[in-house]
Amino acid sequence: FYHMDLYGSKERFDIFPEELSGRGDRSLGDTRRKSALSSEKVQRPQEVGYDLEKEVAELAKMYGLDEDREKELELLEGHLEKVGSRWPPARREKAGSQGSMYNSSKSSSSVKDPGQSTKRQGLPDEASQGENQSKARADDEAESNIWSRGGLSSGGMSDEWNSQAVSEEEEEEEEEEEEAADVFCSTCKIPIRAFDKLFGEHKDHEVAQLLSAVESEKEEIHKNMCKLEEQIAQMENVASHLEEIFITVEENFGRQEQNFEVHYNDAVQVLAQKYEEQLEALGEEKKQKLEALYEQLVNCGKHLDTCKELTDETQELFLENDKAEFMKVKSFNYRYLQYYGTSNYSLFLSPYNYRLEEFLKKEVDLELSTLPDFEERVIDVSEVEQLMNSINAIPAPCAPVINPQAPNAATGTSLRVCWGLFSDDTVECYQLCYKPVSNEGHSDEQAEHTLKVKETYCTITDLVPNTQYEFWVSALNASGISPPSERAVYVTAPSPPTIKSKKIRSCENAALVCWESRDINPVDSYTVELSKLTDEENDDIITESIVGIPNCEVLIHLQPTQKYRICVRAQNLGGCSERSEPVLIHTTGTYFYLNEDTAHPLLAILDDGFTISCDELENPECDLPVYDNSFTRCIAILGSLIPFPGKHYWEVEVEEDTEYRTGVAFENTPRHGHLGANNSSWCMRHIITPSRHKYEFLHSGMTPDIRITIPPRRIGILLDYENCRLSFFNADIAQHLHTFKTHFQHYVHPCFALETPGILRIHTGITAPPWTAL
Amino acid sequence: MALKQVSSNKCFEGFQKVFEHDSTELKCKMKFGIYLPPKAETGKCPVLYWLSGLTCTEQNFITKAGFQQAAAEHGLIVVAPDTSPRGCNIVGEDESWDFGTGAGFYVDATEDPWKTNYRMYSYIKDELPKLINANFPTDPERMSIFGHSMGGHGALILALKNPGKYKSVSAFAPICNPIQCQWGKKALGGYLGPDTSKWEAYDATQLVKSHSGSHLDILIDQGKDDQFLSAGQLLPDNFIAACIERKIPVVFRLQQASCFCSPCYFFIASFINDHIKHHAKYLNA
Repeated sequence: FYHMDLYGSKERFDIFPEELSGRGDRSLGDTRRKSALSSEKVQRPQEVGYDLEKEVAELAKMYGLDEDREKELELLEGHLEKVGSRWPPARREKAGSQGSMYNSSKSSSSVKDPGQSTKRQGLPDEASQGENQSKARADDEAESNIWSRGGLSSGGMSDEWNSQAVSEEEEEEEEEEEEAADVFCSTCKIPIRAFDKLFGEHKDHEVAQLLSAVESEKEEIHKNMCKLEEQIAQMENVASHLEEIFITVEENFGRQEQNFEVHYNDAVQVLAQKYEEQLEALGEEKKQKLEALYEQLVNCGKHLDTCKELTDETQELFLENDKAEFMKVKSFNYRYLQYYGTSNYSLFLSPYNYRLEEFLKKEVDLELSTLPDFEERVIDVSEVEQLMNSINAIPAPCAPVINPQAPNAATGTSLRVCWGLFSDDTVECYQLCYKPVSNEGHSDEQAEHTLKVKETYCTITDLVPNTQYEFWVSALNASGISPPSERAVYVTAPSPPTIKSKKIRSCENAALVCWESRDINPVDSYTVELSKLTDEENDDIITESIVGIPNCEVLIHLQPTQKYRICVRAQNLGGCSERSEPVLIHTTGTYFYLNEDTAHPLLAILDDGFTISCDELENPECDLPVYDNSFTRCIAILGSLIPFPGKHYWEVEVEEDTEYRTGVAFENTPRHGHLGANNSSWCMRHIITPSRHKYEFLHSGMTPDIRITIPPRRIGILLDYENCRLSFFNADIAQHLHTFKTHFQHYVHPCFALETPGILRIHTGITAPPWTAL
Repeated sequence: MALKQVSSNKCFEGFQKVFEHDSTELKCKMKFGIYLPPKAETGKCPVLYWLSGLTCTEQNFITKAGFQQAAAEHGLIVVAPDTSPRGCNIVGEDESWDFGTGAGFYVDATEDPWKTNYRMYSYIKDELPKLINANFPTDPERMSIFGHSMGGHGALILALKNPGKYKSVSAFAPICNPIQCQWGKKALGGYLGPDTSKWEAYDATQLVKSHSGSHLDILIDQGKDDQFLSAGQLLPDNFIAACIERKIPVVFRLQQASCFCSPCYFFIASFINDHIKHHAKYLNA
């Protein structure tokens, strides 16, 4: 029944949108509207209304629609329309207001003969009335019942609109004759001519341009459309929700039925068993009694026989007058008595046997050994009662259903777990259990926690970040505990990562940021958040987010000469971590860091991270640690430059008497060779000969023969991937020294080497000076 | 100061032209080549003066050096004058290739019969720039100079003698120390007389020693196998040594190249772009 109804109502929902949204669709709307109009245009609107109502009621009866059903339908309608009252009064009210509006608009237009327009209006009204009625009959009655109500619910708006439209139409007709209206009187809601505004009756009225008025009207219509669409969506929602409820009711019914069946069967079984037991006991008792009685009866019969025998013998004895014979009898008696030791001898009384008779008398026992009454048996139904009671009382709840983890329901140390009941069981509280999921079997027994919770959710705190936890929940009430739910695995959000601030590389257009996770378990991805820092106050606005970064490194494109604050968050199924500590990046020049792993053992990096020094060329102890990646011959180190095309500029400050090499090299440049001696490095070399400072610009061991008159103290190095060049400058006097023209096949890194004890100071983050441009 | 256009050719979106004019300084008709970059059509451009070497005319450089593309790119007007007065009917002017016609040595002669016409120093320093600035869209404040061999010598002395006048200077295989070499002795002796103290005013190495002017960035390219280098005509080492002493920034590059005679521009063409860039750096700064 419910099911049918739900689907039925859904179908009807489908009808409304057409009707409601199709206000412009006159062919459909008009008949209905006109019928509404006509029903009060015609002199006896109430009668017509009653007629319709009656008709509907009759047909409803015919189709077996009772009042209940109608109410239900009304309820549905009530949701839809949000009109609480029944329709006829509402309709009348609307009709009234509509009528007055119609009139007022008429009077405001007030040029044409009112009679004429009424007539015009009246003709189609009559026709449509008939049409409406016949249509109403033809349609499925239940549906049309709703349908006409629904139509009316929108009637308020559409009627108003209609009247307005009518008046507008008239206006237009009228204007055609004279002059087109060009402004809109907001007070009268009609278009007028500008002339009227100046001199006519609209003089003091508020006016707007016709175009804008139309626009605003359209906007209004559009808004209403939207509202209606919203309602439709809402109704569809309600319908689907009802469907769900329907299914749930079905299920609950099934469960309850089963519950009853089980319990009553139990009770019946118990009763039957009791009955059987009692009957059996009773039968046993009866059997015992009867057996005892029978035995007694048999004994009695034997006695009787013996007595009769004795009587006969005695009589015979009596007849024997012979003394001797008598004595024989006496002995016979004696013998007899020996034979029947315990029998009743009272009948054998004779003067001869008086002592015997006495003896026998003592033995006589006529008491009944068995009582005819059965012992009273209590019929015990307490167990059954209990069973019966348990049927009436609440059943133990079913297993709750634990929800899968909702997005953003986790922090690093807490989880919000939700569950629900499918049934409407009575539940007093829930028992929530959880334990961390461990891949290794041995620690299975570790910390399993149990909580009692009243609500269907719980936030568990003090958890380990980025860890999976297994949750299951049981429902409890007075009757018992439900079986546990399925186990759901939730995961806590990760800890915020740590940006390796010393490993940041950047240039004017990009930054390479890397970080490390603080969690043991891997996370799904990382999100990098950028804020461009300006001098204004709103510094904290995230200007860009890069999501879904799978590893702990990202190259971010930036704008030159800006300041950025960069944070990283880690993300897993559970959600997002807190932000990492931020780092600041200035895109004023190229920043790199020195890669300590590549440093020759004799080369030291001072605390500032950018000054390298060498105190002695030979180490007497010769046991300095040599790493896999470090230079072994040349006392050198590589910088880590951002792998980004474009220009990179840095400077190296040198002492005049320091011998050095500096330039760029591929990351895999041979560690056992000298910089510039191979085809994977390009560098400027300074050596002091007895006669002069000698400068070489080495690549593959070759150098051009160049003499420089002023020894540079500050060497500017410009790496320009785009223009395929590497230039060296005397930065102090902006003097160009040499340019390698080469297309670098891979990204290169700055390299620095000392050939005599001394220091080199490296300066990064410098904007390339303009004189390096050529 | 009327200019007569001798030729005009479209070149790298600009124009390579040759003009003739009556020189008041040299008292003869002089030709010069001028390259007008495309930028000159819309705005004022810096001027780079090129001084050619022995035996050359204005033609050698403009036809063989291949500088126009770089000049167009950097928006430089490049002016290439002749190397000496011509047709002055001085006895002996055409006798040798290293003296007289085609070998003006960029000095103002003081000796007869040369002193009337052979005033190339003043011509390059004053008359020509005035003429150029008057007739072309130039920025008079921005000029530089460079040259080859004898022209390199000319460029160096003009730059050193007129601090601030030229933004930059460069040279290909310049005669760096003419008072010490055969070419110089012959020319300077001929034009200036036997008093060697007068020669020093036109000797780059000597000028460096007394130079205390504004910042000058000097670029010199020298062919390693230049026969005139080994013949001791150029003597760049003396110049370098003087510059080191006086802390004048020089980048001196010894290049691999085969032919260094003045009419052959293979060496110059190889490195002309570097020199244009060197000047553009200062002219366009």
